Amino acid sequence: MTRQELDTLLARLGLAVPERERDEIAAAAHLIADMLERLRPPGGRDVAAEPAHVVRFPEG
Amino acid sequence: MVPDFLTIAEAARLIEKRELSPVELIDSRLDRVARLDARLNSFILVLADAARAEARAAESEIAAGHYRGPLHGIPIGLKDIYETKGVATTGHSKVMRDHVPEADAVSVARLRTAGAIVLGKLATHEFAFGGPSFDLPWPPARNPWDTSRFTGGSSSGTGAAVAAGLVLGGTGSDTGGSIRGPAAYCGIAGIKPTYGLVSRRGILPLSFALDHAGPMAWTAEDCAILLQAMAGHDPADPASANRPIPDYRAALDGGAKGLRIGLVRHFYERDNEANAATRQAIAAAVETLAGLGCTVRELTLSPLSDWVACGVTIMLAEAYAIHEANLRRRFTDYGEAFRDRMVLAGLITGADYVQAVRRRRELIDELDRAMADLDLVVTATAPSEAPPIDAVPKFSTFERPLLTMPFNVTGSPAMAVCCGFTESGLPLSFQIVGKRFDDAGVLRLAHAYERATPWRTRRPQL
Repeated sequence: MTRQELDTLLARLGLAVPERERDEIAAAAHLIADMLERLRPPGGRDVAAEPAHVVRFPEG
Repeated sequence: MVPDFLTIAEAARLIEKRELSPVELIDSRLDRVARLDARLNSFILVLADAARAEARAAESEIAAGHYRGPLHGIPIGLKDIYETKGVATTGHSKVMRDHVPEADAVSVARLRTAGAIVLGKLATHEFAFGGPSFDLPWPPARNPWDTSRFTGGSSSGTGAAVAAGLVLGGTGSDTGGSIRGPAAYCGIAGIKPTYGLVSRRGILPLSFALDHAGPMAWTAEDCAILLQAMAGHDPADPASANRPIPDYRAALDGGAKGLRIGLVRHFYERDNEANAATRQAIAAAVETLAGLGCTVRELTLSPLSDWVACGVTIMLAEAYAIHEANLRRRFTDYGEAFRDRMVLAGLITGADYVQAVRRRRELIDELDRAMADLDLVVTATAPSEAPPIDAVPKFSTFERPLLTMPFNVTGSPAMAVCCGFTESGLPLSFQIVGKRFDDAGVLRLAHAYERATPWRTRRPQL
């Protein structure tokens, strides 16, 4: 991620990140991108594949 | 004279027989805190007066024949994300420095009902995620085995205080390994119970879908005693399971003979390569388990990074939502480690989050299938002994996949058990993982292993 891309993101998020921290965050962004890539199977996922839910149903 | 180190079970036997007074026990721990904690920073707040008053009440109650059970008069510490009525609960953060709850967390109330005495509030990584940090209102906890070393996190104060014998047990929380990590580095036992077993109400959240509350103590037996008090249905926690709670302590004596164990070796030999000491310690632990009558076979699961991508995405997205308003209003009131990790969370889209939760279902099914003909799984807790406290990178959580996260994703009970020491005397650990709601099975194997090995006799020299 470039500094410009990070600055745009921060403006969208409304976060006042100190200048000295920004380069380090931008340099680490690929760690998240790599992780997100792993969530999607190469051939895609069945359209009906459900998420894991945590739902409490009424009892009785 | 109260010994420097006592387990909960040992102290309880003495208290029940009236050979040890809760007042003496509390005074002895407060004395240790006064002498030692300046080097460990495990406490944020010591509740000396309240603890002494509760100890006197416990002594009177026991003298009158009203012994409540093995936690009666036992000093414990609470990770400072567990809310305490009338006592500040800060998340180790400037952001909530003045937060004084009106009620105890449900699990705290249950521990008090069982007779436990809260000695104080313990250090944590900021909001159970940020550390180790040196820019917060309180310093980070340090490892009693070597104070230049990291305790692990985020239940850092509980790991340090239990290992140092300042308290006999305590509470932790575990979203990606925050009970098991500090238990491993500090050489104690810690169980992340099955998701839904212990109420999360009154515990500052990090990730609703992955947060687990649980006990940390010196032994599996002590964890069983604490879990017995903490577990149980809470109708106000939407994730709380409504099912009978077994007698965890009674289940300890089942032994290990005949248990079928899967060894997930690739997690720590390929996916997050452990050092030689850790690999050797786990190999020896597996031999011990076989010697106890277990059958052990190798088990291959999806790569560790897949599990961690799923868990970390969910955790970051939910943590960001929880802290979004404060991040916008008072960004620099958070420590640098927490706030900069949260900025990275801002990269996650809604679609990423949903893909992660869909992946979660697939991974849960995968582990269920893999364990169909197994009772338990073992693997490493951490890839090494505790590193130097000043050598933990800000983004370490994202750089090497956590060996503990897979079992937050699945909600399985998972326990860190000490399995030896390095040549320099730092603890090593392995994980025992069970099927959901077989927490008793996990504790049973851990107890059998602890009794078959000498590691519980060694304590840090302070």
